[in-house]
Amino acid sequence: MRFACDTGGTFTDLIVEDDQCALTMYKASTTPDDPVKGVLDALSLAAEDRTISLSEMLGQGEMLIHGTTHAINAIITGNTARTAFLTTAGHPDILVLREGGRIEPFNFVAAYPEPYIPRALTFEVPERVNSAGDVHTPLDEAGALEIMERLKAANIEAVAVCLLWSIYNPAHELRIADLLEEHLPGVPYTLSHRLNPALREYRRASSTAIDASLKPLMGRYLGGLTERLTGAGFSGRTLVLTSQGGMLDAHDLAQKPIHAINSGPSMAPIAGRTYAELDSEAPNVIIADTGGTTYDVSLVRDGRIPLTKETWIGQPFRGHMTGFPSIDIKSVGAGGGSIAWVDAGGLLHVGPQSAGAVPGPVCYGAGGTEPTVTDACVALGYLDPSYFLGGSMKLDEAASVAAIKEYVADPLGLPVADAAAAIVSVATENMVQAISDITVDQGIDPAESVLIGGGGAAGLNSVFIARRLGCPTLIIPETGAGLSASGALMSDLTNEYRATFFTTSDEFDRDGVNGVLEALRAECQEFIDGPGAAAMSSKIEYAVEARYASQVWEIEVPLPMDRVESEDQLDTLAGAFHAMHERIFAIRDPGSVIEYVGWTATARCHLRDGGPGRLSAGEGHDVSGTRKVYFANAGEVDAAVYDFEKMMTGEEHFGPAIIESPFTTVVADAATRFKRSASGSLVMRP
Amino acid sequence: MNGKPQKQLDGAQLAILANRFEGISSKMGNTLLRTGRSGVLNRAKDFSCCILTADCELLAVAESLPIHVLSGPDIMARSMMEFHPELKKGDAFLHNSPYHGCSHPADHTIIMPVIDDAGTHHFTVLAKAHQADIGNSIPTTYHGTARDVYEEGALIFPAVQVLKDYETVDDIIRMCQLRIRVPEQWHGDFLAMLGSALIGERELLALGEEVGWDTLHTFTDQWFDYSEKRMSDAIAEVPKGTASAQSTHDAIPGTPDEGITVTSKVTVNPEAGRIEVDLMDNADQMNCGLNVSESCTRTAAYIGVFNSIDHTVPKNEGSLRRIELKLKDAGVVGIPQHPISCSASTTNLADRIVSATQRAMAEMGDGFGMGEVGCFCAPSTAVVSGIDPRNEKPYVNQLFLGHTAGAGAPHQDAWLTMLHVGNGGMCFIDSVELDEVYTPIHVHTRRLIPDSEGAGRHRGAPAIEVEYGPVDCRMEAGFVHDGNIHVPQGARAGLPAARSNQFKTTRNKERETLDQCSIVWIEDGETLVSIAQGGGGYGDPRTREPEQVLHDVREGIVSRQRAEEIYGVAISDDLSIDAARTNELRSA
Repeated sequence: MRFACDTGGTFTDLIVEDDQCALTMYKASTTPDDPVKGVLDALSLAAEDRTISLSEMLGQGEMLIHGTTHAINAIITGNTARTAFLTTAGHPDILVLREGGRIEPFNFVAAYPEPYIPRALTFEVPERVNSAGDVHTPLDEAGALEIMERLKAANIEAVAVCLLWSIYNPAHELRIADLLEEHLPGVPYTLSHRLNPALREYRRASSTAIDASLKPLMGRYLGGLTERLTGAGFSGRTLVLTSQGGMLDAHDLAQKPIHAINSGPSMAPIAGRTYAELDSEAPNVIIADTGGTTYDVSLVRDGRIPLTKETWIGQPFRGHMTGFPSIDIKSVGAGGGSIAWVDAGGLLHVGPQSAGAVPGPVCYGAGGTEPTVTDACVALGYLDPSYFLGGSMKLDEAASVAAIKEYVADPLGLPVADAAAAIVSVATENMVQAISDITVDQGIDPAESVLIGGGGAAGLNSVFIARRLGCPTLIIPETGAGLSASGALMSDLTNEYRATFFTTSDEFDRDGVNGVLEALRAECQEFIDGPGAAAMSSKIEYAVEARYASQVWEIEVPLPMDRVESEDQLDTLAGAFHAMHERIFAIRDPGSVIEYVGWTATARCHLRDGGPGRLSAGEGHDVSGTRKVYFANAGEVDAAVYDFEKMMTGEEHFGPAIIESPFTTVVADAATRFKRSASGSLVMRP
Repeated sequence: MNGKPQKQLDGAQLAILANRFEGISSKMGNTLLRTGRSGVLNRAKDFSCCILTADCELLAVAESLPIHVLSGPDIMARSMMEFHPELKKGDAFLHNSPYHGCSHPADHTIIMPVIDDAGTHHFTVLAKAHQADIGNSIPTTYHGTARDVYEEGALIFPAVQVLKDYETVDDIIRMCQLRIRVPEQWHGDFLAMLGSALIGERELLALGEEVGWDTLHTFTDQWFDYSEKRMSDAIAEVPKGTASAQSTHDAIPGTPDEGITVTSKVTVNPEAGRIEVDLMDNADQMNCGLNVSESCTRTAAYIGVFNSIDHTVPKNEGSLRRIELKLKDAGVVGIPQHPISCSASTTNLADRIVSATQRAMAEMGDGFGMGEVGCFCAPSTAVVSGIDPRNEKPYVNQLFLGHTAGAGAPHQDAWLTMLHVGNGGMCFIDSVELDEVYTPIHVHTRRLIPDSEGAGRHRGAPAIEVEYGPVDCRMEAGFVHDGNIHVPQGARAGLPAARSNQFKTTRNKERETLDQCSIVWIEDGETLVSIAQGGGGYGDPRTREPEQVLHDVREGIVSRQRAEEIYGVAISDDLSIDAARTNELRSA
């Protein structure tokens, strides 16, 4: 038996996979003060459902895979450790200046961000290595020792060390580590060249600072999780999801907790890829995960999940860059809770304000007064007020209608139904733009892609989104409402290793590159032989970050080889770069020199074979034949109502229709065809 | 929406189409940013992309630096139509003439009409990018002392055809490759701009096909009306009045000894929802490269207004209708005439126009306007060139090694990394490591300077010191630094920022002050020291929240002595506020 447990902002989702690969899904409330309690609560629900004790159930478990928001929450709420930043003398403002840049150049209301570690806790180490990796200024031991004393006096709880050019010559960072071990024993620290050996000091410093600041807290959290699971009877392996879409043993992740920042959301594309492969031939997949307040979009391109180098905590240029590649997820403030409003010029806006979980949409009757996307869906008849979350919550339809009338319909001079449809249209367009942005960045044509709708609210407008994008196929997986947790069951044990080594296509340093690749291979092999020893199969994937001479933004190109020997291989590599550049940016420049900058190798250990299990059907509910719903183009129509869980496999249906389950509601207009496939997913042709 | 023309779009349809146009312009911008070659393009984001109507009205702009976007594309599009009355599908033009609407000659622009299969011209797309080199007589794109365009040496392209039936006109490209330093880099940027324009054209043709051209034209009219109303509402919030403010650029060769003073007279009429910016009371054009082109003069005045009001007002032809400008023919700011040089038109004196305008706006009432942003272009932002000893190849590029410049605003402290007001902070700051790989330099120091900010209720940014020098070679560095003499002023009793400066450190470790407008050789073992200044404050510093002053003291931005003398906040030895003494200081 395996457990996948994803702690989100509101709910802790649990999917249990039994030994026959049947899945069951549970939701417990997240308990922010003690998130492990939410995990245990969800597990208790599963045990109750099986009418066995928690310890009995856990005793059968071989693996628990956990996605956690603990790290990101600590950063957002400022509850990380009191961390010192040690940097090269003369360069104290790396975290203050960042890399410049701004959004909204006319906005003088938004504040310039505070550095991740204040200047007051920044210490300049007397030393300097130059760009050739030679020591320009030797490390002044006396000066370094003085810093140790100041760290003690300042009650520092963690230390981030990032010196210029440590990636080419780590001697000074290593010496500082010795001194820290000696003078501040037990205080966790992070060295930049070990954590993130990448060019560009701000990104490396920021990674180092974030990582160090999380070590005390995540060490405690992951230690506590393992301990309490063991105490409750679990003797299997505890794995935690990483921002790169893989998983690591909990105690390994505690050593580099920065990788836990996007722990949960990174799983959505893993699940999306699998579900898309089951029901579609399309080379690309767009995965949209709709939450209450955010809409997260991610991609699969030719079977690979593209990474972004620029992962921000918070808004770009106003938050902090993690400095690590992570699964490229574009998150916009658009969800069921997004508020609709009309500005003084008569323009309808949806969001970015959100009613959140509290008070929530007007129809929740919990104090919300401004209409949201969910209210529009109630007014349009898409949501059944008496069967929301399987009937566990009654919705106030009249309140939704009144709010839409007051805040949107009357100011726009439209009937309520049209106003509600307009709210859904604008929300749809916001979501479409989010998808367009990320597909453009990654060079993906939506017309050659399948759209996966995940999240409980995905079904409400995914048909409209798919149509607007020109996606021929939309898939709503049966586990869509817990997409991240289901992805966790499909993910591999992975670890990624990186190195910076600069060379160019006209003077390609084969020995240098092969040396780097060999070193990366050895690190991967060590991981495969260690934590990956129990895997069904393992592989190593290589990639290079490259750009045309004098560009500054690299793109990642999968390396179709593990050594570069012949001229042919060099040409193949160059060809792969030109093709990727053209794919992303519409142009190639075959006459230009290519600069190869960063090299990565990913060890991927496949822990389990076979596809995703099927969700065990619940009891379902009685559905009456039709319901009146309103569409922008067609007006009010009678839509057939189907029970998602009871739909026959393979039978083709036509809209207008509403497909309901306790976890989600899917809307299909008259132009849509759909069927339930053998995988359990709803496959729709918008 | 279907293909039928519509009489009137509702608020939702309007929002959706606005989103579509914005999406297209940002797709263009993204392409240009990520494929551009020169540092000034891909690091300083010194580029812009926009969509104009067939009547040459500015419709949608990708988020790019302010000095490029508000005015100019309209004039350039008109000159394209004047010089090429019979536009065909697949035509595109290279344009950089400051005498025909371009900001300055360094901003090469691809301008392309969007023409459907029936031959109807519906929109025009424009992609503009600052080049690392444009073939000037000296290796910099800011030739501050050029007597005229001939001494400046730039190749000028007044809407010259470079694409015919989607095929490039190679004659022009060959010319450029023979007259522009680092021709491969230029060609890379040219391709990036062309790619951007083509993407805009392709997307607009698809949009027209999808929703119908008539609907799109209905949209543009309504969108302008909507934007105009938003602008008029925003102006209605500003108190009525007329105010003048001045801002003075330091003297450089070719200017009077006292420098160049820009005067901006602003009149706000909230009832009518209109603002007038009068720039008539300014000097005649001068024999130097500082003259501000018509495009930049207009844009600078617009920025001064938009920096001072509700930032959510859309920036397009509709909102611009509410700002009336009065410009002087053949003025140093205004409408300079050929062959006078506008080489440094986007920065130095243009910044002074913005500064004077937003300080005049501040005079209308608390809550409006802004302090003066720090001046351009310090040696940390120099164009450097030489031979790289590591590969024996020549290099030329603009560095962005360190800048601050932000000014205090009505509701917030400075945005630290503004670069200069016309850039709006969009510029990236170079990684020291990246610059040391690209360029044979070693960066010794990059740090903020305490007690250098323009104090205020909301303070300006502190200054920044950057020291760097060549490695195993000599290096030529060009810069036109302002703010050594005439420092950025505060607004509404806010105080000015400290002076900017520039030095050379010799091999004997002696500091020599350099001329602020220089092309200097830095020898191996010498370093260039740049003091790039911060900006002026907003409001009386003695009304600043004591907690904020304490924070600045703890962070080493402001000394305890300055906290006491300037801000009237007493900080005790244990770094806490001495409330009693603070009261005493502030009531004195």
